[in-house]
Amino acid sequence: MVLIYFAGIDLGSTMTKVVIVDEDDQTKASVVYHTGAEHRRLANRVMEESLAKANLSIDDISFVMATGYGRINVPFADRQITELSCHARGVASFFPHVRLAIDIGGQDAKGLKTRDGKLLDFVMSDKCAAGTGRFLEVISAALGLKIEDLGDISLRSTQKVSVSSTCTVFAQQEVVNHLSEGVPLEDVIAGLHDAIAGRSARMVNRLKVEPDVVFTGGVAKNVGVVKALEENLGCPVLVPEEPLLSGAIGAALLGKEHVLKALARGETIQTGKRRLEEATFFK
Amino acid sequence: MTTEAKPRALNRLQSMYALRAEVDKMYEGGVEASEEGRPVAWVMLEGWSNAILNAMGVNTVFPENYSSLCAAQGVATPFLERSEAEGYPTHLCGYARTCVGYSSRMVELDGKIPPEAPAGGMPKPILLVASGEVCDARFKWFQSLGRFFDAPVWTIESPYPGLRERLTEGAHERNVNFLINELKAFVAFLEKLLGKKMDWDALEHTGGGTNEINRWRWEINELRKARPGPMNTRDFWSAVTAALFRGAANPDVITKGFERMYDEVKERVNNGIAGINRPEKYRLSFEGLPPWHSLGFLEQLAERGWNFVIESAYRPPRPITIDLSKYSDPMERYVRRRYRRLEDSLEEDYGPEEAGLIIDEILCDGVSRRMGLRHIRDYQVDGVVLHVLLTCRSTSAGLNLLQHRLLDVLKVPSLVIEGDIIDVSAFNPAEALRNAETFEETMDHYRKVRKELGMPW
Amino acid sequence: MAEPSKGLLRAQEIYQDRSQRALELREQGKKIMGYLCIYPVLEMMTALDIVPYRIFGDMREPITRADAYMPSVNCPFLRSCLDLGLKEKYDFLDGIVTSHICDVGSSLSGIWNYTVRTPFSHHIDTPHTLHETSLKQERGLLEDYRKALEDFTGHKMTTENLKKAIRVHNEQRALVRELYELKKPDPPLISGVETIRVIKAIQSIPVDEGNELLRDVISEVKERGDGPQTKSARLLLWGSILDDTALPEMIEGLDANVVMDDTCVGSRPYFNDVEVTGDVIDGLARHYLMDIKCPRTFRTRDYNDVRKDYMKDLEVRFSYLSDYARDWKTNGVILESVRYCDTHGYDVPGLRDYLDNLGIPSIYLEHDYTEGALAPLRTRVQGFLEIIS
Ligand SMILES: Nc1ncnc2c1ncn2[C@@H]1O[C@H](COP(=O)(O)OP(=O)(O)O)[C@@H](O)[C@H]1O
Ligand code: SF4
Ligand SMILES: [Mg+2]
Repeated sequence: MVLIYFAGIDLGSTMTKVVIVDEDDQTKASVVYHTGAEHRRLANRVMEESLAKANLSIDDISFVMATGYGRINVPFADRQITELSCHARGVASFFPHVRLAIDIGGQDAKGLKTRDGKLLDFVMSDKCAAGTGRFLEVISAALGLKIEDLGDISLRSTQKVSVSSTCTVFAQQEVVNHLSEGVPLEDVIAGLHDAIAGRSARMVNRLKVEPDVVFTGGVAKNVGVVKALEENLGCPVLVPEEPLLSGAIGAALLGKEHVLKALARGETIQTGKRRLEEATFFK
Repeated sequence: MTTEAKPRALNRLQSMYALRAEVDKMYEGGVEASEEGRPVAWVMLEGWSNAILNAMGVNTVFPENYSSLCAAQGVATPFLERSEAEGYPTHLCGYARTCVGYSSRMVELDGKIPPEAPAGGMPKPILLVASGEVCDARFKWFQSLGRFFDAPVWTIESPYPGLRERLTEGAHERNVNFLINELKAFVAFLEKLLGKKMDWDALEHTGGGTNEINRWRWEINELRKARPGPMNTRDFWSAVTAALFRGAANPDVITKGFERMYDEVKERVNNGIAGINRPEKYRLSFEGLPPWHSLGFLEQLAERGWNFVIESAYRPPRPITIDLSKYSDPMERYVRRRYRRLEDSLEEDYGPEEAGLIIDEILCDGVSRRMGLRHIRDYQVDGVVLHVLLTCRSTSAGLNLLQHRLLDVLKVPSLVIEGDIIDVSAFNPAEALRNAETFEETMDHYRKVRKELGMPW
Repeated sequence: MAEPSKGLLRAQEIYQDRSQRALELREQGKKIMGYLCIYPVLEMMTALDIVPYRIFGDMREPITRADAYMPSVNCPFLRSCLDLGLKEKYDFLDGIVTSHICDVGSSLSGIWNYTVRTPFSHHIDTPHTLHETSLKQERGLLEDYRKALEDFTGHKMTTENLKKAIRVHNEQRALVRELYELKKPDPPLISGVETIRVIKAIQSIPVDEGNELLRDVISEVKERGDGPQTKSARLLLWGSILDDTALPEMIEGLDANVVMDDTCVGSRPYFNDVEVTGDVIDGLARHYLMDIKCPRTFRTRDYNDVRKDYMKDLEVRFSYLSDYARDWKTNGVILESVRYCDTHGYDVPGLRDYLDNLGIPSIYLEHDYTEGALAPLRTRVQGFLEIIS
């Protein structure tokens, strides 16, 4: 058996991410899709698309590692591992000195204490949407803004307001109140970003913040939250070029390492049946 | 821009300010004591240890009060966050989490008082005195402070029997002896810790003084039955801390303070002056602990003519003379003065007839429908606000049942407001105010119901 | 009629339909006594031929009726118990015995009396400290309890019967410990899920029947070939009430076996015997106040010592857990608590300090006593397993 390609699929609550790497850890293809209603069950499509992009067929993939919220039900995965370990591994491939990684995704926020790509400890936020990407989605939709634009808008702020509610519904009320009182939009958005960053910063306190600190997940694409996080933590925060992908990359790399370890022990690798079926997690 | 200065809706008592200031002095006194090498203990609010500690010359400071002070000044949040970072679950008592955050900050500063601490701060304790009275999770809180301080923890035990079980033959004497022996063990521990002997005469003074304070507080409450109610609960909350936390340490001054308050309230009653500067539309009772961070909310309710004429917490016991001549042991005297037979205190409070009914209820069902409602009737309350606290199980657990009993027995409705003693974010004032508005209709309705039933208010 | 089932199958049947046996016994004229938590002295019920029946909640049943009587900021387990009471699921009980486990537990006893109105009720104000005076107090309280049960049944509780009852209950404790011995090998002979079923079953039937069930289970699991598989992690589970298999099911669905626990539907009530003392009540008081290691009791190294040593204090409070970890060869501890349980919540930082100090990895999980809320915890548990293996 020739080992060549490894795929990582991160079936997140909001986005589905696939990365294919080769034996030198080089990314051959990556695809990001919304895990939105119509795509929910179509993890296989995303996989197919990345295979096409890399000009490969599923049989060329030596190992598929699944991670993320929907990881347990990816039928074509050979193994599944939590996004906690995958992000830890993924960020280390961009920033080898990372000690603390903060991932804010669509549905939760996580703090990972890590060293050499290994997960040492972690904290996770509750199921509540406040302090996550979902919160920003709800508010941007309510204000008729595009989520991609929030970051730039907030950078114009000169005097951010404080948003004290910890509940999405109340916070939305607060935002509307501020705006109706004539507070400039950018100050309100900056306030929201600060609220999200503050929550995560407080949460990761338990892990004792040490540099390098890396910020990943979809919300790290928002420069406003990055800035607010730096302010709240009081230290610089590094963001990978594509923060959405660190989980999927980590999954692919952990898949590779899993295979190498098993081969070194003289085992043969059990791989899945590799039929690209729909994910069955979201019924 | 100029606006016509409308008088504030709450009519504050002048005598309250001096009492409130006494509490701030407690912290100054604690810091001073600590600097001079005198012993400082962190103590919980409970019925027994405070007078004993003060008789032994220990300076007492109260983290529970200190946390509410932090909340009132808006500086509790960073302490709460620190407690979370220390790995304490966030549902724990707000007082406790503020205190944990404070302690952790102190450790970070090598035992020094944090510069951001209000009122001069609480100095490092040599002893933590915990209690399970009213809220039994509290001793767990002080125990867990072991992570931060080398101070030993003593947990005071006191009996907390079920109602029926309290009436069991022999139970009262057993509980009295339990308390006596328990407190003697505490004294023995203190003597060992401090290397000095208990001053029993001083205990007669610190313990007796509290009763004098309670007597004035009782008289003040009697005056509050007047229409319009001369004193709003806001003043009660501002002043009661002086009685609770300084009564044993400084009985003479605090007694004087309440005596002055009595005079002022009496003056108001004589002149028909209310505790709010608006017509008294509704008379209310506040049940539970208040939102220390948002006491201004009462101002908004006063604006609507809501006068909180009474409250359930920390109501002083009816002053009575107890014949202690049979008892010579000072600890026994101390205990018997305060721990009464349930039958006796019911009879003093309700009169023999109603007390009899209550006791029958208890013997039959293990609970009483009527007990604890007397103030609602005496103060002719139109509605009750039940403050359900996010982080306080003990004061919240019975509130829903109380709501049913108030309606069943007295036809008095209640409004549930959710919030917290410390955590501002648990309280939504806009929503509470909206609910208050609708609640007025409910209060109106039950006024009619009571009238139809021939009830006196 | 079909052979009555035995062993694990029988345990599972009772687990799923707890009251079946109690209802039969009631038909036969036995008195069924509900009790809350593990502090109401069961020996005294058995001595008067009363069937002790532990009150549980049901995390699979939404709380609908209890909201009106207990705010949602209170322990959802206790709220669920009340909810079932209000839904008449405990109407077959002849009485209920509660104790001062925690304040909300005590409040529940009043609310229950007001709303559910089980015919007989008694509340034991179990002290919280191990002071000498507390032991004396507990002793007095047990005398009252004895008297209340005697009045209830109209029979005297003879010392002979009480001693006999202590012996059967001690036998039960020994059998449970024997069962836990079978969790020491790798793989364990019985899973964490099965253990909860068995313990919950024996807390639902008379003690002698429970002992028979335990004997059957022990011989069955020793012989069967299809027990649990070896997994990467062997876990110790510490925490508040777990009266449903959902959480261990989730954990054991991953790469882990729960091989030891310190919970009250687990080892907690059974790991010490009651000493049969000259004065029987003394031994019972000592056991129930001092031996049961639930965080509701304030434990310290030596309460009279004016010096304080945090680590030694932790040692006194928690060393039994490091013994468990060693003897059951666990490589990680899951601390679990139902939300709003202050009693367990305050112990979490200290216990984690203790375990950290010993190099034993741990994780704290909080849940709100609903089955659905357990799913999000899966990632945490799996992440923890990834760290420790
Ligand atoms: N281009 C973008 N700019 C700003 N925010 C984005 C962008 N793309 C995604 N997001 C945010 O990222 C979130 C999804 O992050 P992701 O890490 O994929 O979550 P999950 O792993 O749970 O699916 C969305 O809720 C959204 O708020
Ligand atoms: S663990 Fe909780 S449920 Fe069990 S006995 Fe202790 S307080 Fe009761
Ligand atoms: Mg994600």
